[in-house]
Amino acid sequence: MSLTDQSAFDIAHKIQRGELAAVDVLDAALERIAAVDGRPGALDYGPLTQEDQTKVHAFITLTADRARQKAERVDARISSGEDAGALAGVPITIKDLFCLKGVPTTAASRILSNFVAPYTATAIERLEDAGAVVLGKVNMDEFAYGSSNESSAFKPTTRNPWDLTRVPGGSSGGSAAAVASGQGCLSVGTDTGGSIRQPAAYCGVVGLKPTYGRISRYGVIAFASSLDCPGPLARNVRDAALMLSVMAGADTRDSTAVRLPVPDYLAGIDRGVKGMRIGLSKDYLQISYPDPDTGETIMEDLPAEIRNMTLRAAETLAAEGAEIVENVPMPNSIYGIPAYFVISRVEASSNLHRFDGVKYGYRARASGGDLAELYRLTRAEGFGLEPKLRVLMGMYMSGGQLSLQYFQRALQARSMIRADFETAFDPDGPYRLDVLLTPTAPTPAFKMGDFYGDSTLMQYSDQLTVSANHAGVPALSIPGGLSAEGLPMGLQLIGPDFAEATLFRAGYAFEQATADADWRAVKPCVLAEVE
Amino acid sequence: MMNPLAVPDQHRNKDGLMADFEAVIGLETHIQLNTVTKIFCSCKADSWQDPPNTNICPVCAGLPGVLPVLNEAAVYKGALLAAAMHAEIRLVSYFDRKNYFYPDLPKGYQISQFDLALGDGGYLDVTMPGGFVRRVNITKLHLEEDAGKTKYEGGQRLVDFNRCGVPLVEMVTEPDLRSADEAAQYLIRLRQLLRWLGVSEADMEKGHLRCDANVSIRTAGSTYLNTKTEIKNVNSIEAVRAAINMEIERQVSLVQAGGQVESWTLDWDETRQRLNKMRSKETEADYRYFREPDLLPLELTSEWRDAVIQNLPELPLERQLRFMTRYQLPEYDADILTADRPIADYYEAALTAYGTDPKILSNWIMNEVLRMQNELGLSADALTLTPEYLAEVIRLVDAGTINAATGKALLVKVQQSGQPPQAIVAAEGLSQVSDDSALQSVIDAVLAAHPQEVESYRGGKEGLFGWFMGQVMRQTRGQADPAKTRALLQKALQGKR
Ligand SMILES: [Zn+2]
Repeated sequence: MSLTDQSAFDIAHKIQRGELAAVDVLDAALERIAAVDGRPGALDYGPLTQEDQTKVHAFITLTADRARQKAERVDARISSGEDAGALAGVPITIKDLFCLKGVPTTAASRILSNFVAPYTATAIERLEDAGAVVLGKVNMDEFAYGSSNESSAFKPTTRNPWDLTRVPGGSSGGSAAAVASGQGCLSVGTDTGGSIRQPAAYCGVVGLKPTYGRISRYGVIAFASSLDCPGPLARNVRDAALMLSVMAGADTRDSTAVRLPVPDYLAGIDRGVKGMRIGLSKDYLQISYPDPDTGETIMEDLPAEIRNMTLRAAETLAAEGAEIVENVPMPNSIYGIPAYFVISRVEASSNLHRFDGVKYGYRARASGGDLAELYRLTRAEGFGLEPKLRVLMGMYMSGGQLSLQYFQRALQARSMIRADFETAFDPDGPYRLDVLLTPTAPTPAFKMGDFYGDSTLMQYSDQLTVSANHAGVPALSIPGGLSAEGLPMGLQLIGPDFAEATLFRAGYAFEQATADADWRAVKPCVLAEVE
Repeated sequence: MMNPLAVPDQHRNKDGLMADFEAVIGLETHIQLNTVTKIFCSCKADSWQDPPNTNICPVCAGLPGVLPVLNEAAVYKGALLAAAMHAEIRLVSYFDRKNYFYPDLPKGYQISQFDLALGDGGYLDVTMPGGFVRRVNITKLHLEEDAGKTKYEGGQRLVDFNRCGVPLVEMVTEPDLRSADEAAQYLIRLRQLLRWLGVSEADMEKGHLRCDANVSIRTAGSTYLNTKTEIKNVNSIEAVRAAINMEIERQVSLVQAGGQVESWTLDWDETRQRLNKMRSKETEADYRYFREPDLLPLELTSEWRDAVIQNLPELPLERQLRFMTRYQLPEYDADILTADRPIADYYEAALTAYGTDPKILSNWIMNEVLRMQNELGLSADALTLTPEYLAEVIRLVDAGTINAATGKALLVKVQQSGQPPQAIVAAEGLSQVSDDSALQSVIDAVLAAHPQEVESYRGGKEGLFGWFMGQVMRQTRGQADPAKTRALLQKALQGKR
């Protein structure tokens, strides 16, 4: 097993004890990248070659030299007896939505293709301060608008390490694929409607959307500000907990980052689920979507293997001592996607205003100094399909009288979704849940090209994840098994505000209970050749 | 080319016009709060005469990924102003995004407050030139960030972001004003109040206080509102007066000629002293307001609000009335002595030290201290001549130790040296020569030196008396008590020694 396949927890401990050098771990990670990633995403990518189709393409920008300096600094600190941090020498990747000083920060968009961030995001600063070694910036959907990575302006887009003809999920697809294929141990993603959890599920890794405000958003290029949550992706629950411990906490530069002490998420992670009340909801075992022809809502059961995985997991946890509470009603979940459609687009269209070619980023050549033309051409040439769709819809739905019809109603739906969770988790209520157990995504990873361009249909893959964003509650996706086709399926654990520690405990218990399961031994296909 | 908005001369009969019509005016003001740092970042707020783009950071320059963090000092100053305007301070208010594109608006939206702003309602009572008090109601009072500045140079559009994120209060009046003079008076009183509270430097030339005027006319005495025009870029009290007068005249002539006022936005051209049409305003711009998700609701405790109200100083109009009732000052004096807080404090401190006649003190301040302030460009609290020293000088004059002219000169010396008046009097021998024998010997010497003039006076040229007075004064370097000199001189000239 390569060093890069070890857990972040083990690597950091070995480096802290001087048993391992950070530069050796870095070398192993760079070797893995060279073996599996292929060429990085680029604007001028030319035709897709045969070889491209055998690679992951997680990266947009590899920062190998910078990483080596950081790794050497970690080793120097260790040899001089200093504390090198909780993530000493752990190689990580960053979704290209986070600003990192002196490094291109593109949001996978042409309009920011030449933007070099002059400052570093708080979450990244904290990871680097804790000794993490940033390997580079990884691919994503353009401005995080999508669930497949296919909307990135930087191509080839990321492929799923388990099946290279499938998407890695999105928008943090590069992050999930990198972690799954050993290109670093950890990755930082963002989750607005499921953008950490869905790709984590598709790539068979762990992903957490923390409580809104648990991790500072400072330095994260905004998608939908009231829903955006930075969060960790890792290969196991303990690594995710370790990473959250480092990233979480108040920030003087983000007033929406909550001023609550950060618990030690590793302490008590192995206390098990005895007595924990874990809920199941029928509303999370079906999806609803509008009929493309009639617009009527169609309710459909999830595929049997997804349902069965979830029920089996409940049995496993029950066997570990959890109390399973069935039939928890979450009736307003069906409004999750429509409300998200409106809120995320209204906020996104406003957040995109600043990309006008005036101050930074791509600027079109406008003739005659015509300001309106400069704006029009810059945005027409700089934005891809997804940002354009979102600008149009967002501006439409927040304009004048339509705001009442769409935006205000969506906000009402959001409150109703929040109320569902409050009832389910109410310690004096009828259900008194500690955790709601659901599948993460309605299906395993879909084929590239299946939905691309149909942003409405594509986002129904976020149906089971989006409600946690509306409600602001934390949700953890962990691997739950493999489908008949050998594709990862994800389990989701949702908890009340700031109950991340509970989610980690339940996730860890499931991980331990299934440690010897056959499906745990199966590895992504791209790793077959390197081992 | 003819100015399309100029009023033909034959219509310029103001009295005749205004007999039929009345003007309806509302003012929209932007007030720059004098906080140390900007409203959402820690950049220096005041960039007056700083080179372009030197007081900026990722936050106020709208870089990708940045977030605003609210400056509590701006909230405090905004709340203080709201309290002084008799507005309700909302315990929960919200920030909203006002979305529009402009190069000097780096985020493409302005963080402002929309429906639930810091201040709710309010009014300012303004004593108008005619002597009556007009209550000007406030319809909007909110916090927001300023945008940058665009200028055109050499065919290029240049943008300076220094002003981005400077805290502003936008305050809009109801259409309660009825003439250009009333509008000007409102601004004068608002400027006074802002400085009084210490929330803004309120310097219109520096853009600390900006004003747009909404103007319409209607048949005198009616209550409906006609289509209004909006005048932008009026950045002095005089410009406000001139621009509104010009626009009223234009609207009246237009209506009298059978035309209709259209909803235009007009730009005041300061150099040419005329209005230019900027654009027609058929529909309201749609700013797609929605709650700013990057800021939490602005929640204040009722204790905090009470403390703001407690900290509110006595306001100018209240203090003026108190000066009139308690000190029996004329309205004119009381108004001038409450022009700003330092002069009002100065007056009251001097009065405490002086202890007697408030009107005598008022005269000294209005004549001497204000002139000194104007010459030196200092506010009253910056004078070396403290209120206590002023009182001391007046007491010296009252006691006859020095005469009034010496007293006035002494004020200047105290201001220049910082020395106590008594010390200067002693050191320079300024004490009035009122000792009879000393004065008598000076007079004797003058008479002895000018026998011809004495002869002429005694021969009937009594006009020479003033000349003798002058001679004595010159000999005593002005320190002779004039009344005593006069008496002794008369005796001596009459030979009645
Ligand atoms: Zn700044």
